[in-house]
Amino acid sequence: MKLLDLPKRLGLVSYRNQAKSEIKPHIEVDTDICNSTCPHKCTTYVCPANCYTMDDNGQVHFQVEDCIECGTCMYACDQGAVDWNYPDPEIGRGVTWNFG
Amino acid sequence: MMDEKFDCIIVGAGIAGLAAAMTLARNNMKFLLIEKGEFAGSKNVSGGVLWGHDLAKLVPEYWEEEDGGWERFINHRRLTFMDDQSTFSVDFKSSHFNEPPYSGVVVLRSKFDRWLAGKVQEEIDKSDYAMESFIATNIKVDEILMEDDKAVGIRTGEEEFHANSVIISEGVNNLLTRQVGLQDDYVPADHMLTGIKEVIRFDQKVLEDRFQLNGLSGMSNEFVGYATDGVEGGGFLYTNRDTISLGLVAGIKDMREKQKSPQDILNTFKSHPVIQDTIKGGEVVEYSAHVVSSGDKRVMPKELYKDGVLLCGEAANLLMNAGKAIQGMDYAMRSGILGAETIVKAKERDDYSSKTLKEYKQALAKSYVMKDINNFQDAVHMLHNPKMFKDVPNLICDFGRKFFTIDNEPTKKSRKMMAESIKEHSSYWDLIKIGLKGAKSL
Repeated sequence: MKLLDLPKRLGLVSYRNQAKSEIKPHIEVDTDICNSTCPHKCTTYVCPANCYTMDDNGQVHFQVEDCIECGTCMYACDQGAVDWNYPDPEIGRGVTWNFG
Repeated sequence: MMDEKFDCIIVGAGIAGLAAAMTLARNNMKFLLIEKGEFAGSKNVSGGVLWGHDLAKLVPEYWEEEDGGWERFINHRRLTFMDDQSTFSVDFKSSHFNEPPYSGVVVLRSKFDRWLAGKVQEEIDKSDYAMESFIATNIKVDEILMEDDKAVGIRTGEEEFHANSVIISEGVNNLLTRQVGLQDDYVPADHMLTGIKEVIRFDQKVLEDRFQLNGLSGMSNEFVGYATDGVEGGGFLYTNRDTISLGLVAGIKDMREKQKSPQDILNTFKSHPVIQDTIKGGEVVEYSAHVVSSGDKRVMPKELYKDGVLLCGEAANLLMNAGKAIQGMDYAMRSGILGAETIVKAKERDDYSSKTLKEYKQALAKSYVMKDINNFQDAVHMLHNPKMFKDVPNLICDFGRKFFTIDNEPTKKSRKMMAESIKEHSSYWDLIKIGLKGAKSL
């Protein structure tokens, strides 16, 4: 069986409010902390949805759109950069599992 | 509808919350069950097998339904040790497990929790509060309302709902548990793992033939070793009706330190030659992930109750893998039932303070849930020892390769083969230590 890359895997996930343009992010990340004092920047590899990315200059960026609400970053970040919450059903983009 | 006070508000319609709601409905309590997903189960992920007989207590003769919420009953257990090329399994299958109430059923939460919520609604409809108890979905609880450090209800957006008691069954990402002060604001990653899973669909006949399934019989398979590419944790495979759940759990702290990504580990696992053969021809239909606790007591909340509020299920990190099975949904179910029974007592006494609610903790301590968690802490620690998820599986597979190789040369005695494998991957001294620990812990 061919392995799926992450975009294909995330393509199988059902999100709510997918088309809404004004989505309030349910996780807020202080990337200044990631990019100044964090010694490991681990969210860029432990997040199963790759919401945290590192650019060519080693700077961490965060996007909430692919989040599958697993909670990994909340535990993995030991620098206080991640303010984690669940999306509000009305104003946040959220996951709905078909199998779960 | 909302001016009136409920006997109880339950936050979260997972297995713990639904078990609590079922118990409250049967005891004629007026309650509100709040779920943030669009239906019960829509936000929930598990491996997963629901072990034990509590489901039969909650929904008697659940197996009689044509299309109940569950997938298959387990009559085939397999524990597999893995190195990069080989697998060596301990395999047990028995018709002894064919009769209901089954000792374990595989579930997919989006389907199972939704089905169970339907059963709860049936009980609400039969109760004295058929018109005043509710399962409310699409509502996110922002805050537990506290008065003099006693829970008195919840707030969602601008709205408040009041109750004599609150059951928090919000799952492992327990923000409300932290808000009421029962767990620290930041929980370190030390005893937390990320579960990552694919649901892979097959033609049902192909699935049944490949895994030797008969009717609704099913298999559970846990993997130790190469499955997690050197990271603390393990893999799993469970058979559903026409899909399998294939995935792994990986220690978050260990991934941080070893700079490993869960989706890469999953790919490594899926690329293993034996797994490749197992999943050939399947089509991935869902990819999911969720944090899960290790079952280490050190990550449990400081307390399971305070005035007006109880913690049930994984909100209280009630979960354990001691090597025999990964248990959590059964703990959720039992703790939800015991929590709700305590609330029923509190109503009878009209005392929802810790004085009554501490009986929940006592009941849980007397139940198999805390007895197992307490008795098997050594096993939990041992399983998270690198020797157990690296050296031992390598040694066992190396021995297997030697033992099963026939090359028309004089064959060594298996004792000598074992000695060589031990020398290569570990040492007698390490194994004696593990053996002694293992004998004590199990």
